[in-house]
Amino acid sequence: MSEARDAYIDNFPAEAKVVRAAFYSSFFALALGGVFGIIQTLHRTDFYRFIDPADYYTVLTAHGVFLVISFTIFFLVGIFTWAITTSLDREVEDIRFTWAWYLLMAVGITLSGIAILAGFIDSIDMSASVLFTFYAPLQAHPLFYIGLVLFVVGTWLAGLDWFRSWWAWKAENPDERIPLPTFMVLTTTLMWYLATLGVAVAILFFLLPWSLGLIETVNPLLTRTLFWFFGHPVVYFWLMPAYMMWYIMLPKVSGGKLFSDPLARVVFVLFLILSVPTGIHHQYLDPGIAEGFKFIAMTNTMFLLLPSLLTAFTVVASMEHGARQRGGTGYVGWLKALPWRDPVFAGMALAGLMFAAAGFSGMINAGMNINYLVHNTFWVVGHFHLTVGTAVALTFMAVTYWFLPQVTGKALWSRSVALGQVVLWFVGMTFMSNAMHRGGLLGIPRRTAEPQYDGFEFEAAVGSVGELDAQVALGGVLLTLSLVLFFANVIGTALNGRSDALPANEYAETLSGPEDAPLVLDNLKLWTAIAVVLVIFAYTFPLLSIIDRGGLLGPDVNPFPVSLESVAFLTFAVEHLGTAALESAGNAVQTVVPGVIR
Amino acid sequence: MNIHTYEKVWLIAALVLIVGFIATITYGSVALGITMVGDQEETIEPSELNDDERFGEPRVEQVGENEYEAYVIAQTFTFYPDPIEVPADSEVTFYVTSRDVIHSFSVAGTNINTMVIPGEVSKMTVEFDEPDEYGVVCNEYCGDFHHTMEGLLHVVPEDEFDMTELSVEADDEIELGDEATFDVAVENAALDDLETTVTLEIGNETFEETITVAGGETHETTFEVDSSELGEGDHDWTVTVDDYEESGTLTVVEDLEDEDETDDGDDEDGDDDSDGDTDGGEDDE
Amino acid sequence: MDQATEELTQSRDREPERKREIGHDEFDPIGTLVLIGLYFLILVALWFFMYFVEFLGNDPTVVGLVLTVVGLQ
Repeated sequence: MSEARDAYIDNFPAEAKVVRAAFYSSFFALALGGVFGIIQTLHRTDFYRFIDPADYYTVLTAHGVFLVISFTIFFLVGIFTWAITTSLDREVEDIRFTWAWYLLMAVGITLSGIAILAGFIDSIDMSASVLFTFYAPLQAHPLFYIGLVLFVVGTWLAGLDWFRSWWAWKAENPDERIPLPTFMVLTTTLMWYLATLGVAVAILFFLLPWSLGLIETVNPLLTRTLFWFFGHPVVYFWLMPAYMMWYIMLPKVSGGKLFSDPLARVVFVLFLILSVPTGIHHQYLDPGIAEGFKFIAMTNTMFLLLPSLLTAFTVVASMEHGARQRGGTGYVGWLKALPWRDPVFAGMALAGLMFAAAGFSGMINAGMNINYLVHNTFWVVGHFHLTVGTAVALTFMAVTYWFLPQVTGKALWSRSVALGQVVLWFVGMTFMSNAMHRGGLLGIPRRTAEPQYDGFEFEAAVGSVGELDAQVALGGVLLTLSLVLFFANVIGTALNGRSDALPANEYAETLSGPEDAPLVLDNLKLWTAIAVVLVIFAYTFPLLSIIDRGGLLGPDVNPFPVSLESVAFLTFAVEHLGTAALESAGNAVQTVVPGVIR
Repeated sequence: MNIHTYEKVWLIAALVLIVGFIATITYGSVALGITMVGDQEETIEPSELNDDERFGEPRVEQVGENEYEAYVIAQTFTFYPDPIEVPADSEVTFYVTSRDVIHSFSVAGTNINTMVIPGEVSKMTVEFDEPDEYGVVCNEYCGDFHHTMEGLLHVVPEDEFDMTELSVEADDEIELGDEATFDVAVENAALDDLETTVTLEIGNETFEETITVAGGETHETTFEVDSSELGEGDHDWTVTVDDYEESGTLTVVEDLEDEDETDDGDDEDGDDDSDGDTDGGEDDE
Repeated sequence: MDQATEELTQSRDREPERKREIGHDEFDPIGTLVLIGLYFLILVALWFFMYFVEFLGNDPTVVGLVLTVVGLQ
């Protein structure tokens, strides 16, 4: 270890390895997702079609799952581990446990990935072309669901790892405030535990047994509602680490300090309590859910804008602080004083700018009756390419240019290529997402291989469908080029030699520190309890009503596509294990219950 | 807690924005009457749609003056009925359900858009003011050929729209001297009685009959035409009811049994004629 | 950004150039207020455009039954 150097890898060499592994897994998923992205962009817009239209949906499933599950979550477990160890200044409690959850996640996503990619090979009797939402009665191979379960359990254990660190630290520092990065990790983790309950129930109680043939049918509306119980808060699971970077890294690279630590805490508390009871806003146009429930979901969703709007102020004010310390002046002239040539800064700032636009289309999506206009159209695709596809992805790529040297001990391969990469992403996404939004307003559907119909055409008041297609394809090509530059930098850095000139492992200081924050903000139990109550309030009645109407297992509907032969073996294995587990659980209950009653 | 004045200003502005958004949506619901697809409809068994009163025969039905109901089934990878035809200046309630997986019923370029979930019925009431032609797409992935799932919605001008259906059964060929029969059935799926005239034109002759078809009923009329009036040869005929037309050709031959021979000897046409005249008649029926 | 800054940011200690230190009490984020005020106006204008032009102009729209219709359900 170099004496002069104070990088993450120098202070936490063992943890740096895990973080590095998580990053590389994330980048591998990003590469796969990117390849599938350009294939579908060119296919959909009819510029270059070389796959069978039916395979488009396998491509789309892979693009979605690899990017929003593997890329984002592997990256965030990396930076969360960094944040915990750095801000508590202590090693993880047991590095073997840390490796264990990483490996569980890796094995899980590999199994799901195999199930998806097998859809390309006709001779393999396995497929999972069910898209990221896996709505029943569309059915995937059981391996897909099993993989997802293992992956999610891996993230649960990761959360436990972070909590263990905090508990141990708290025991040694009983009177100290939770350091802000740790606070952010813990609140996000709690939100994630709550959110994943929905998908866990959907998969373990319904979809997995159904795909194994243990139950005949499922209630499509019920599993769909349980999916969105998880499906909306999952977007905050992607977004919170990006927010964390904007709060604790962006002020530093701007040359300033975080404007307000207390408000940052308020924001994360609001996300903890409001993220989950909102999922029904994805189901505004679902039959079988009363309008009143939809209205409640809308109110919650609208108030969820508050933490994001507060974030906009705090983050911009922190940047302004940096700019003024660097000599910036004027009402808007200070913007020129920001370090725009630094790819870490430029990437995050551009990502934030895109998020401001995404905020607007999100406000439209949150609106209940206006949803008739945009629901399931290309507009929605435009929206989430600005949020997860830019606010999150571009922030992650930008901070990679800071993190990669920290966890490898090697200097970044090229800062100019990095700067070009983040700008190219911004430009590419501007073309693509703008055209997607406009296309959606014409009624062009999302998730459609060839949205060119025989009987009619979409009518554009301004421009034309051809022009929109051209913008989407151009954007897709620019984004692909941007990815190529990103990977060149990642690989170039990995091949670099050891560098002695790395910045210290630090995050931003604060103007208004935790001492200004009321103590109650750190009361995680209280906020979790409120979050649970709100979830119960928002979801009990809709779920009961859905079960009451359609039954727990729903109507008589066949799975689609019809079940496959290779399922038989898995069925046997799971049944066997399940019986054993039930028996032992039964025994446990028999021994415990009398004790409790007594 | 120490919050900067500017940030307090922004906090209030943000809350105003949020409340304003909710107020706009509420205004749309309350003042403009925009209603969400909801849980008004009972659930339905997707496997028993064929026996269902509404979905057994997907169709448009009149339920009141200017009020119609459309029962639509979405299934991989079509909509039934297709096209859906409704009149302008009407109020149409769509009931849409799925036979298999989750689909959507989304009329391109309009705010008519709903998820279609097996077991559930989506109900949407829509007012059509102007005649137009719309495409219908499924915007939820439903399988390998999802992108081919499309339909049409025709809003036809009010005066061109009716729910009348005309069918004619007529002889193709008869023997000279026989009566040609035209069985005309006029179905009126609308609510009101339909008063109209059935017209048969054949050769130079025109037959007319004024009928009244009760709402939801079918009226049958038979025209009988004496073939000797028409004479031998091919006679084009047309049955007209309002804007509906059915047409065909009636061939009057001298003798049905001799048909093949007649074809053989074109030259002897004249002779055959006179032969058949006396021969055929009643026997052949 | 000048050459010196560029070199500095590339140096080992990648602290951006800092010309002065501004403490908590002397910092008023007026620039932020200007930008975010602009954002507020854009949001309001776009919201009205989207709701009243794009959405309500995209007729027909799903409405409740204005008249009570007999024989539903």
